[in-house]
Amino acid sequence: MKKYVCLLLLSVLAACQPKGYHLADRTAQRIGVDSLTASADSSVARFLQPYREGLNRSMNEVLARSTARIEKGQPDAALNDLLSDALLQQARLRYGKSIDMSHLNYGGIRNNLPEGDITTGSIFEVMPFDNQLVVLTLRGDMLQQLLDHFANGDKLVVGGIRAKVHGGHAHDVVFGNGRTLQPAELYTVAMSDYIADGGDNASFLKNAVKRETLTYLIRDALLDYFRQQGKTGQPIKPVSDGRISLD
Amino acid sequence: MDASASTRRDLLKLLGTAAVIGATTPNLLGGTGHQAPVRLTLLHTNDVHSRLDPFPMDGGRNAGKGGVARRATLIEQIRRQEKNVLLFDAGDIFQGTPYFNLYKGEPEILAMNRLGYDAGTLGNHDFDGGIDNMVTQFGKATFPMLVANYDFNNTVLAGRTKPYKVFVKEGIRVGVFGLGIKPEGLIPKDAYRETVYLDPVDVAMTTAQQLRQQERCDYVVCLSHLGYKYEGPTISDTVLAGKTRNIDLIIGGHTHTFLDAPVAINNLDGLPVWVNQVGFAGINLGRLDLTFERGKAALTGQSLEIKA
Repeated sequence: MKKYVCLLLLSVLAACQPKGYHLADRTAQRIGVDSLTASADSSVARFLQPYREGLNRSMNEVLARSTARIEKGQPDAALNDLLSDALLQQARLRYGKSIDMSHLNYGGIRNNLPEGDITTGSIFEVMPFDNQLVVLTLRGDMLQQLLDHFANGDKLVVGGIRAKVHGGHAHDVVFGNGRTLQPAELYTVAMSDYIADGGDNASFLKNAVKRETLTYLIRDALLDYFRQQGKTGQPIKPVSDGRISLD
Repeated sequence: MDASASTRRDLLKLLGTAAVIGATTPNLLGGTGHQAPVRLTLLHTNDVHSRLDPFPMDGGRNAGKGGVARRATLIEQIRRQEKNVLLFDAGDIFQGTPYFNLYKGEPEILAMNRLGYDAGTLGNHDFDGGIDNMVTQFGKATFPMLVANYDFNNTVLAGRTKPYKVFVKEGIRVGVFGLGIKPEGLIPKDAYRETVYLDPVDVAMTTAQQLRQQERCDYVVCLSHLGYKYEGPTISDTVLAGKTRNIDLIIGGHTHTFLDAPVAINNLDGLPVWVNQVGFAGINLGRLDLTFERGKAALTGQSLEIKA
């Protein structure tokens, strides 16, 4: 009987008892993942192996050959010119109509290209980011603002135009067809979505007349360009044409 | 099992309950014993960015670090030691190595299946292959993608994600929900299409309350890809923690922040929310060991000292 009284009492208490749990203690650890903390799990390593082999095969594809190392530089260099020209050509193909010029973010060119074989891996090292190629339509005065923005610091990397830079200001801008820059005219510029969206403090570009996405990664455009170059059988002879000069 | 054994077991259960009450309301029964606390281990990654292999040995800062096969070993070791383990990812699974460009995220997802991830949330770069690719790749996942503030109803992802999930470990109810970052200006429109971004604070308030009340969760975790902290008022994990209630822990991502230890930020009720983030690329695995006791704590009882 005593037992049942006890049970009854406990049941009443249980009914009143707040449900659930509460946190009584917590500790944290940040575990570094390296060869010292853990060896590779063999089953996961085996699972990954075929993917890695496929990756190595495709990263080792020789796209084109170059007679010399192709380097980036300021205010102008062979790699600046090659990449911005490649971008302009591929953007025009993708867009299906003419584009006035191309622009590349100097800081976004992450490596130089080797002498000899240029592989897919080489292009990934030059352009590891997955920025999309976009076409902005700008009024001439905003285009001037864009050129000045990057001329300031000698980081103007462009295709389709020649220009002189003086005191962070771009002048004597000439397009491929010989036209000069007119403030009230409209121009199309192929560039990275990163810049078009105001990256690198270029927020003024958000007021562009038009913004079109090509759904084409800049790196994919470069891969296509270099593969095409390789198919011509002619090696790339890197030269800078001095399209940007300081005066 | 005979009846008396069953009764004895019930009695023991009840006695256990009484012991907890005894602990919170002393001398009611004169009981002084304690029911064994329950341990729960939360493991987490963020911004792994397709880094399936360790960084190459090229003399760089991260050379030789990371790697999914090593992470598998670590997680397996912890699972052998701990009874209750949950493994989460806070987004940006995709993009960053040629693996993603070549395989569109398949090996990342299949590897996460093998590692036994319990849930993940979406990062901005998880959209990089386009929303159709998300349907394909996340369709291969054996774990749910949780995101409460993206309305995918007018996209192909409709019905493919969940706002939250409740995990029950040894009686502990852990509610987990996800929050994504504002896509506009960050993700190409062509990639996120008709995805509607909902205010993270509003959604977090509603979802966390639902988890705490309707779902009776003992612990509420937010998997966030908002980013740790910004200059100005931009929504971040830090801002979110202070502007909400009912969240116990925010596992963050996006800003690739290497926190040495979780940071505690008081919420609207003055209760400390833990915010954590462990860098990027699978260089680190975050580990949080939580101990739970029966019953509700006094409000002050939750104000715990941080041990890192």
